[in-house]
Amino acid sequence: MNTPRDALSAILRDWRVAPPADPNFRHSVWQRIGRRKGETWPAYLRAHAAVWALAAVVALSAAGYTGYATARARARADREAIVTTYLVELDPRVQALHRP
Amino acid sequence: MKFTLRTFLTVLLAAAATGFICYRMNADSALHAAAARGDAMEWLRVDFHLTEAQFAEIRKLHAAYAPSCEEHCRRIQEMRKVLQAAATDSAAKAAAEQKLQELRTTCETALSRHVRQVAAVMSPEDGRRYLGMVLPKIASFDHSAAPDLHLNSPL
Repeated sequence: MNTPRDALSAILRDWRVAPPADPNFRHSVWQRIGRRKGETWPAYLRAHAAVWALAAVVALSAAGYTGYATARARARADREAIVTTYLVELDPRVQALHRP
Repeated sequence: MKFTLRTFLTVLLAAAATGFICYRMNADSALHAAAARGDAMEWLRVDFHLTEAQFAEIRKLHAAYAPSCEEHCRRIQEMRKVLQAAATDSAAKAAAEQKLQELRTTCETALSRHVRQVAAVMSPEDGRRYLGMVLPKIASFDHSAAPDLHLNSPL
């Protein structure tokens, strides 16, 4: 870490990478592209099963709860409206206010 | 990318179907229909699970209550006229206000008695739920919207 700046530059200048030649490199690349091209939906799902399963659980739970809550809210609103109508019909105090 | 989009749309579709099914399973269409029509008797029948016998009994109670409701309404209106006429006479005005308040209390008592009679016809659980809905409103008098007077229609 304490290598002087000039020494580091010299090391970097002299550094050479000599990867072993891979005669199948081009072939391997095309093979991977071909595999990807022929991939099926079930294979995709199997490969990403965990992520999509989690997404499905979250989405279905949220949608189910939203449906339930919406139905309950509508029932509450309906009850509130009809109980008011009902009492208006029964309560002389209200009728006296509104009758001519 | 194609599979991601396809999977996303499938999940979305399944979620929409789940939401719809949950809504339908928890929605009370009979209650909604009664509320949409403003049909309070139908509401009582469906929301409090009334048998035909209970429903007939409640109709009878409502029919018996209607004339006294009408009479109370008439007396309140008369007293309001008296109150208006006594605008300049403070003693007469105070007396009329006192009388009007007594009339209102009498109405509230009669109405509370009537709804308790109705509740007694229902099953204990439904009766409690019914009273839990109507008694607080009667006491707080927060249902004074313009009336939809179906009460005198054939019960």
